[in-house]
Amino acid sequence: MTSLVVPRTELSREAHSGMFLHAGAQCIMSNDIEVTIHNQGDVAIINIKGDVTAVTGEAIEEAYRAVCLAGSTKLLLVFNKECYINSGGIAILVGIVSESQGNKQIIRITGLSEHFRKIFAMVGLTRYTDIFPSEAAALEGF
Amino acid sequence: MESEKSFDLQIPSVLGFEKVVVDFAVSVGKIIHLPADRIEDLKTAVAEACTNAIEHGNKMKPSARVSVSFTIEESKLQVAVQDEGTGIGQITPPSLEQTIAGKKERPRGWGIFLIKNLMDEVEFETRPGRWNMVRMVVRLQE
Repeated sequence: MTSLVVPRTELSREAHSGMFLHAGAQCIMSNDIEVTIHNQGDVAIINIKGDVTAVTGEAIEEAYRAVCLAGSTKLLLVFNKECYINSGGIAILVGIVSESQGNKQIIRITGLSEHFRKIFAMVGLTRYTDIFPSEAAALEGF
Repeated sequence: MESEKSFDLQIPSVLGFEKVVVDFAVSVGKIIHLPADRIEDLKTAVAEACTNAIEHGNKMKPSARVSVSFTIEESKLQVAVQDEGTGIGQITPPSLEQTIAGKKERPRGWGIFLIKNLMDEVEFETRPGRWNMVRMVVRLQE
């Protein structure tokens, strides 16, 4: 079993004034993502925990490149239920799914909330991937 | 209108602060008893509008403000997000098929795509050299 952890932390410190923050207050905003890879049989499982955005999505792209290098043709993306995915993150996933078509890879997805299942269908990702209610269901017959 | 209630807030143009507006939107949605799925739609649309305002409207200039107003009327919730930019002009709607066909590398416009698909009404207004605004409406159920 191989495992790769790709943590990403972006911190910006700014003094702001505004409705919720008084002038001169120190503020830290962080965007974290943790991406891990492991294999189960011939399936490469990419676990994604945290915010999926244009910035943090690079960690997912890195993980995807790693499984491509390993020659995996079956990929399972496991999102944490609390994942926040914005349009920048959607663009990253669209890129990966697009590349997977050329690489003849099959991608299955699980762990999405109902809202993000709707969004994945809206942008067309469900035409090229299959979404499952659980990791066990996704691995069955894969 | 007597039954109209409005709230305004401003955030600096720093990524991460869109989440302050999202939290505010959730509170407003709960106060007016929006169904849970519509609150999720509102969260995504508000986050995308604010992120666009920060990144593309105000070009990430922290001193430039993003102004957001929530107006509750009898039959709808209106959210207006205004930046100090000149508008983003015409953007071709993103297409997953075109990305797969290799016609678009990393298509822009998924944020606006999501806003248009998740909200009941969307309008864009630009005053060149002054401001740019997106106005979104969620209709309230009877």
